[in-house]
Amino acid sequence: QETVYLTVASSHPTVIPWVGMIKTHFMARTDEILAEAGDYKIEWNEAFGGQLYKANATLTSVEEGITDVGWVFSFLEAAKLPLSQASSYAPFSTSDPAVQLEVMEELFETNTAFRNEWESHNLKVVGFTGTDSYDLYTKAPLEQGFKSIDGMKLSAPGVLGNWLRGTGANAVDGALTTFYTDIQTGVSDGVLSLALGVLPSKIYEVAPYITRVDLGVAFSGAVAVNRDTWDGLPEEVQTAMVEAGKYYTASHGKDLLERHEFALNKMVEAGADQSPSVSITPMAQTDREAWVAAMPNIAKEWADSLEEKGVPAGDFMKAYLDGLRAKGETPVRDWDEDL
Amino acid sequence: MSPVEIGSLAVAALLVLIYLGMPIGVGMLAVSFFGVAALRNEVVSLRMLGAVANDSLREYLFAVVPLFVLMGLLVTVSRVGKDTFDVFQQLLRRVTAGLGIATVFANAVFASITGISIASATVFSRVAVPEMSRHGYTKKFATGVVAGSSVLGMLIPPSLLMIIYAVLAEESVGRMFLAGVGPGLLLSVAFSVVILLLAKYRPGFVFEPTANGEGRLDHRGDESDSARALAAKAVPIVALMVVVLGGLYGGFLNPTEAGAAGALGALVIALLRRSLDGRKFWNLLVETGQITVSVLFLILAATFFSRMLALSGVPRELAELILSSPLGPYGFLILYLLLIIALGCLIDSISIMLILLPIALPVAGAAGFDLIWFGVLTVVCVEVGLLTPPFGLSVYIIKSAMNDKDLKVGEIFAGAMPFVAAMLLSIGLIILFPPIATWLARL
Amino acid sequence: MACGPRAKRRSAIGTKISENRRSTHVTVKPHERGAPRSGRPAITLSRLWAALVDGLAALGTALICVLMMIICSDILARNALGASLPLVSELGALLLVMIVALQLAATVRADRLARTEIFYTGFRAAWPRAGALLSALFNLTGAAVIGGMAWATIRIFGKDFASGEYIGVTGIATFPTWPFRALILAGMAIAALQFVVLAFADLKTIFAPQGRKGKP
Ligand code: NA
Ligand code: NA
Repeated sequence: QETVYLTVASSHPTVIPWVGMIKTHFMARTDEILAEAGDYKIEWNEAFGGQLYKANATLTSVEEGITDVGWVFSFLEAAKLPLSQASSYAPFSTSDPAVQLEVMEELFETNTAFRNEWESHNLKVVGFTGTDSYDLYTKAPLEQGFKSIDGMKLSAPGVLGNWLRGTGANAVDGALTTFYTDIQTGVSDGVLSLALGVLPSKIYEVAPYITRVDLGVAFSGAVAVNRDTWDGLPEEVQTAMVEAGKYYTASHGKDLLERHEFALNKMVEAGADQSPSVSITPMAQTDREAWVAAMPNIAKEWADSLEEKGVPAGDFMKAYLDGLRAKGETPVRDWDEDL
Repeated sequence: MSPVEIGSLAVAALLVLIYLGMPIGVGMLAVSFFGVAALRNEVVSLRMLGAVANDSLREYLFAVVPLFVLMGLLVTVSRVGKDTFDVFQQLLRRVTAGLGIATVFANAVFASITGISIASATVFSRVAVPEMSRHGYTKKFATGVVAGSSVLGMLIPPSLLMIIYAVLAEESVGRMFLAGVGPGLLLSVAFSVVILLLAKYRPGFVFEPTANGEGRLDHRGDESDSARALAAKAVPIVALMVVVLGGLYGGFLNPTEAGAAGALGALVIALLRRSLDGRKFWNLLVETGQITVSVLFLILAATFFSRMLALSGVPRELAELILSSPLGPYGFLILYLLLIIALGCLIDSISIMLILLPIALPVAGAAGFDLIWFGVLTVVCVEVGLLTPPFGLSVYIIKSAMNDKDLKVGEIFAGAMPFVAAMLLSIGLIILFPPIATWLARL
Repeated sequence: MACGPRAKRRSAIGTKISENRRSTHVTVKPHERGAPRSGRPAITLSRLWAALVDGLAALGTALICVLMMIICSDILARNALGASLPLVSELGALLLVMIVALQLAATVRADRLARTEIFYTGFRAAWPRAGALLSALFNLTGAAVIGGMAWATIRIFGKDFASGEYIGVTGIATFPTWPFRALILAGMAIAALQFVVLAFADLKTIFAPQGRKGKP
């Protein structure tokens, strides 16, 4: 039996579900498959939680071999991974992370531009990651549904600010760690966020009115192996990792969907005694339609600006939305109709 | 060589280089470069060096460093510290050794608007020591009180040391700040008790033999401020406290913003009091820059060092070794704190934290310690080093700020010793009663 | 507090700047002393060099003020107008890296990087030439590691430039990162050269004729 030494790392700690699953699903499954044949054994040097690099360098750290295996956070790599941002510019398209990840996995095989944008960075991608669905958490109930957010100040960091354009709401910058006090002190009236993030940071205590808008899930990155490391691995190990990666992606998608519901229920449970208590109201479909109709076509803006630089973003956006439709999802707006 | 052997060798090499006097940051970068080159290869090592230079400091939180330093320097020139001392001096004029206690509490209050002990030591050696000398206190005691109470500057929030710990341990800065309040008050009380005990049982330590009676101090000749004048003196410091601490805990400001708002507030006060001209302000900015660079360059280098260690697996192995040995978690804690105090005799506060924490934090985490409590213990122990010879920064600052040829450094060190004892006692109390540190932070 | 043993002599605010200026002269003097024949060009060169280091540091110093102003404007905008300014946190983070990179050379020249003096000070006083040799070794190590940073930054600069790397969000506000990388590159390169300049001064001490009978 031969031992292979590999360093696995991440910018985020293992309490983040998809980082923890690198260990419990990807690594464990790889070890399991290898143990069956018994020819190779991997000795993992674990450096999770920012020991080797921070969130601002997830791509380059795998690319340059600072770690052998790592999670690449594509959200923060918009310049180097432009096509990977597509889902952030097509909200209200799907709220099922499992379906989205399946589509991204297929696109990686069929869309050369998408594949190249990753592989040109000296990487072998083995698994994909995404977010759960975005909803609105506010201090006051949205009595008139979508209309109520007109004039509200909503915490919506970074790219999510785009999702509020045309709605009349003002986007306030911030991060998961600042939302609580921002809402408490009136810097914002609520937040556009993920159940998985809101639950641990207890934002429901200050913003107990949850409006289930289901703005949709977003693609967030990939588990990748440094290409030089990959090329040096025995074929048997490579095969095991590819299989374990597929298992990781599928498990992660399913897990996100379950956790999302679990987190929402948990907030209602934990916030039952507070005043006012936590309540969940689904947003009416007509309101969701009104929301997307009010927005400019951000998908087209995004695609056009990339096309100017020679990135085939229009085709990719079409392929992404078609992929979702083929799996039975109905995007509320056909972002790709003008492309 | 195994990865762990390479990592251990790098740590040993670093200690030798630091002893020889190589700039600590340069030493960390050099051994880490060779460490990573041996663990992986030179190309990866060079790229990590580049990544560290470009990305390790790229964090909004770090902007707090120059801002709090600038604020500390601005309040130093604008006599806010002197006014604070005046207020406490008047309030405590009837208490035995009241000037000593006034120095402690003025320092505690001043600490809540400055994040660096340099500011506290500079201000109070110029303000409190002459006043105490005039009233018959010994120089040894007067400078000792100032040195001892200057440590409050980096224990009571805001605090540069707490920020650095929070960054390394990935704890919230706000919580670390809150965790410093309890121990800060504990130390203030402990220092006051020490002063009272000294005045009662060792009057020769506190008062010059020539002072009238048995050390009873005569304030009759002093002009005293009216209540109104006293209140006016308290206004600037209270205003700054409201901006910094109120903004921070009222939730209006994050730590970086509190630093910016505080620095701007201090600038406004300095301008209103006409204690600043263009030249002086520029010099303050230059000084701020140099302090900032020396702190952040160390953080940058320590980042590379801890990444090299993570690649080598040394912290993980060490945690397993220590925690499975008869030493146990508390044995490790005591050993760690003693090591800090020993290093404190030789190196500056921030360097100690940046050298030890990458190794100790994983062990503390594996031992299941509350990392906020662990951080407070670390900071208090590190601060003991400000007062211990041969290298005690606060003592040297007082020496240079006093500009008094007759004052010997050894005398200040001797004067500070009772306060070191009070600190050690307080550390023991915090170990035995963790809520002193964690209660407010976990509220 | 942070600046290590060296800081003790510079702790009083009033004395710091003169100290700073004095060290500027320290880098100038060896040339004045060591090369009397080619004196004028050497002085000009060292003056130019000092001006370059000072200029970079002044830029970094000004950025501290800029940083304070940007953050305060953001607080004002958020609390008074209810909308935060774009890019503030990302720009603040990058400005901080700038401040360090731009002032590093001046900090190196002023000898304000933290170090212990347990062994070093006594050794230098007792054996000036051997001490200068040790100092030269330290300075050359500094030149190598900081130079390594500069060298590795060339590649990062190239990649950011080629891929159009930016901070901010497309559709809201963006700013390219390559100008920052260029300044980091310049700051690191000049700091590395400053270490070389210091090492050069050490070498002059080692080979200075009066050091011949220097054994105590
Ligand atoms: Na403080
Ligand atoms: Na000491």
